[in-house]
Amino acid sequence: MKNNIRVERAIKNITQADLADQVGVSRQTINTIESNKYVPSTVLALKIARIFGKPVEEVFILEEED
Amino acid sequence: MKSRFLFPSYFRVIGYLCFVADIIKAMLLKVFFVGGFTQEPGAQLNIGMIVTNDINILIVVIGLLFIAFSKEKTEDEHFAQLRLDSLQWAIYINYLIFILCVIFINGFKFIEIVAYNVITPLIFFIIRFRWVIFRLNQSLKAEKARS
Repeated sequence: MKNNIRVERAIKNITQADLADQVGVSRQTINTIESNKYVPSTVLALKIARIFGKPVEEVFILEEED
Repeated sequence: MKSRFLFPSYFRVIGYLCFVADIIKAMLLKVFFVGGFTQEPGAQLNIGMIVTNDINILIVVIGLLFIAFSKEKTEDEHFAQLRLDSLQWAIYINYLIFILCVIFINGFKFIEIVAYNVITPLIFFIIRFRWVIFRLNQSLKAEKARS
């Protein structure tokens, strides 16, 4: 699974720490999600998408091997 | 996310204190009772020794439990997952070593191994979990340096 968090963050101009605070998780978690090392739960994915005001599919994208 | 069955995060400090206290106690014993507490084989253990032994084991086990299972500063699902991973990892390592010990070690030494085995899963868990979190923090620092 890929994600556009880095891009979306740049659009909203917020840091990983800001995003982490708004969603209520640790900065480490946002960092690992962004670098595709951790796949967030549905709840967390929905929360992140809500911060960016976009549907989940625009932030998280399935890949061929998923 | 609600994380269940975890101690408040300051319990980790208490855990480390328990552990350090126990190590200091062990060193003091080595200094003051050079010969150790050896008695005639089969002799009745005196009550003082039994009590110190019990307290010793309790302090170590409770200390390790506190270190292993207290909350992170910001607890979330990722940490819960890492904790679970580390637990599985620790159990595998522990029993791998245990199996090797069963095959290669016999007699009284083996009983000693079994005694250590009471706390080794926790120790392996703590090492692995802390290591993963250390790595996470490293990559976070690298990220900060880049941005």
